[in-house]
Amino acid sequence: MNKIIHIEDFSRSGGQLAQIDPAELMPLPPPYDKIEKPPIRQLTDEQRKRMDASLDGVVAIGLTPPANPEEEKAFIDKFIAGLEKLFTIENNWTFLQPLVHTLDYCVKCQICSDACPTYLASGRQEIYRPTMRAEILRRIISKYIKKENSLVRKFKASDIDLNWQTLARLAELAYRCTLCRRCAQVCLLGCDNALISREIRKIFSQQMGIAPKEIHEKGSVQQLKVGSSTGMTPMALKNIIEFIEEEIEEKTGRKIKIPVDKKGADMLLIHNAGEFMAWPENLEAFAILLDAAGVDWTLSTEIAGYDSVNYGVWYDDFQFSRVAIRQSQAAKSLGVRKISFGECGHAHKAGIVVADRVLTGDLNIPRESILPLLEDIVLSGRIKLDPSRNAFPVTLHDPCNMVRLMGIVAPQRRILKKICPQFREMTPHGVENYCCGGGSGFAITQSTNFPDWRSAVSGRMKFKQILDAFQDVPGPEIKKYLCAPCSNCKGQFRDMFEYYGVWEKSGILYGGLVELIVNAMVDLKKPFIQWEWH
Amino acid sequence: MGTLIIVLTYIAYVCIVAVYTFKVVGWLRLPPHIRWDLYPVIHEENYRYGGSYYEQQEWWTKPRPKNRWRSILYSLKDNFYMGEYYKRNPLYWLFLLPWHLGFIFIITFHILCFFAAVSMVAGLEISAASASSAGKSFYYILLATGGFAFLTGTFGSIGMIFIRLADRSLRMYSMPMNFFNYFFFLIVYGSGLFAWLALDPTLVEYRAYWLGLITLSPPVLHPMTVLHIILFDIFLIYLPFTRSTHYITRILAYFYIRWDDEPNQRGSKMEKQLNDLLGQKVSWEGSHIAKGKSWVEVATEPGFPDTKKDSK
Repeated sequence: MNKIIHIEDFSRSGGQLAQIDPAELMPLPPPYDKIEKPPIRQLTDEQRKRMDASLDGVVAIGLTPPANPEEEKAFIDKFIAGLEKLFTIENNWTFLQPLVHTLDYCVKCQICSDACPTYLASGRQEIYRPTMRAEILRRIISKYIKKENSLVRKFKASDIDLNWQTLARLAELAYRCTLCRRCAQVCLLGCDNALISREIRKIFSQQMGIAPKEIHEKGSVQQLKVGSSTGMTPMALKNIIEFIEEEIEEKTGRKIKIPVDKKGADMLLIHNAGEFMAWPENLEAFAILLDAAGVDWTLSTEIAGYDSVNYGVWYDDFQFSRVAIRQSQAAKSLGVRKISFGECGHAHKAGIVVADRVLTGDLNIPRESILPLLEDIVLSGRIKLDPSRNAFPVTLHDPCNMVRLMGIVAPQRRILKKICPQFREMTPHGVENYCCGGGSGFAITQSTNFPDWRSAVSGRMKFKQILDAFQDVPGPEIKKYLCAPCSNCKGQFRDMFEYYGVWEKSGILYGGLVELIVNAMVDLKKPFIQWEWH
Repeated sequence: MGTLIIVLTYIAYVCIVAVYTFKVVGWLRLPPHIRWDLYPVIHEENYRYGGSYYEQQEWWTKPRPKNRWRSILYSLKDNFYMGEYYKRNPLYWLFLLPWHLGFIFIITFHILCFFAAVSMVAGLEISAASASSAGKSFYYILLATGGFAFLTGTFGSIGMIFIRLADRSLRMYSMPMNFFNYFFFLIVYGSGLFAWLALDPTLVEYRAYWLGLITLSPPVLHPMTVLHIILFDIFLIYLPFTRSTHYITRILAYFYIRWDDEPNQRGSKMEKQLNDLLGQKVSWEGSHIAKGKSWVEVATEPGFPDTKKDSK
């Protein structure tokens, strides 16, 4: 049984608070049930000196300990100042109401714990309980913001010793929640402990400039600087598009000119730039399908206009708004009628829903998901499709942002039911789905041993679900397709499947939705999906 | 003593209404926030599977029908059922539900007592032997409501003490205040239960008490009933200072946060509110946020930070 950890333990210096014990992790079906190696690489002594890993031996941020008591005091003071700002309208109108509601009305009934895939898959590690972060924050607020006296704090069990160690662990802990919001979904009081994770991240970022490098410096900052979080410049984009056009011609014999910066096009399509770098077949499939369906669309080469990601949605309101505004400006300069987001879950939620109350006036350009258009193309019969071309087992992963957080549930299912005769659902699915384990920036966080953690812990529940969905065809001899209409989720599946050796052991390939549609196109001579692991 | 309980009762009701109102108005006056919807959104047409209007092509050109009644019933239903608890922790539910029903029914009982007193002033006799069927019905409804409140409240309070101690995950996050509340509420319900079962099986004393309240004539009551009424008045005064406002705020959170899927439209009232908020000066200190600028000014600058300078 995992060690009992109390909030007081967060303030104790030295030592690692929680150990991830492979024997305690949620069991997986065979052949993944044997523990062959420690699930998470140990940090070297040098890494441990440089980066704080005292929460669970894993590093997402890796804060460097202060050199002296003055530095520690300055660090704590800055955090407290940030925490105060969280409760002011001018600094945090964006989330003030849901934040205050959760802090004031959570009764710590722990119903949310059993909804959290990370907590469950970890073998119920106390530190990953959804209420843990909120309770630490609540205690800091009681003592340092509301300045409640010690008797009141005793009555409310809200005492805490605040030191550098407490905050370093809290910062890391905020990056052990995927923001999937399953916890919020089951809360009868309307509280949202995932939001608390985000608000803690916000203090560290907006007040202290602290965030995982992959999300901030190499993520949203790079996107605003060069155009994409991948570092892909507009020039590189044009080269990749040429490459994609050549690939399409080679695969299908079709000469398709991908529209770029086409003024007055009906629709600006923004893909996750990860597709350009890692999964160009997704872009190829989109180009083939939209060309065949006669859709009037274009890509953009403006800053952020060709990369739908918006990492700010996970940690920083300003970085979020900057990207959302740039994406709208790109659309405005092209004079398109609407923006459509490709297969990327968080980009959907960020660009279509969350940005809604930041984009005002002529920047409020209609924005939608590409999925209803894909559904229309498939179900209307505009393109001839042959389901027998997809005669292999297919299951569907629901990206949290697209499904639970914005209610796009049915279009992808209607498509799959039409074109994939061996489609089967996972359990649970739809708005009750489990996160891939790479949500809220985890899929792109490659720091030290963090990828091991997200494969072994945060993605574990999803991995089990996938294996269960294919339990009638477990071996690698039958190739299977995990349809994941989200670039971030695909990144997580790529790493997680590598980690467990899934292609070799189970023959499961992951990919997008549009690839399955194009694979079923009667007009194409050869199958579009190539059963190669990459 | 009769005068005391009349004065105390009026103070208690003024207090509970004032503090609840203050809290709820404070909640509602918080500014509009970024959309943070969570599905299923119950007023949506496809709420059964959690679908939203985003499932349609060009959703902004389509009607967005909202079934508000369904949302209201859904959110109220859980006050009497608490299905998520039943599904996930049935033992906890077994005590939590009666505990909550105790609250609801004791308040309902007193509201009914008020109407009973008004009816009595109007000449209605409320008793089992009343010649009027309305008086008879009223009598039995009062008896059922009051009795149910005392029974469930007492059982729930004992059960909550037990479950908060027995369940490790609940115990770890419990605070002395929780146990104080359970014990205090146990005394309130328990005193009512004892007074009812041992001294006042027809609850005639409550009708006399409420008649005294509305006619401002101090009633003569058994000391045990008086004790219960005093405890109940203190309970009313104390209640708004606990998390009990969640009876109301949980419904507000559903409507104003979880199910708030109202899109911002050009020229709308919401857009004006948002523009006002975007115009406020921010004071965050991260190096990627310019000092002394408004929200919108910061958001429209690229804000390239030099992260090395940050206090990492």
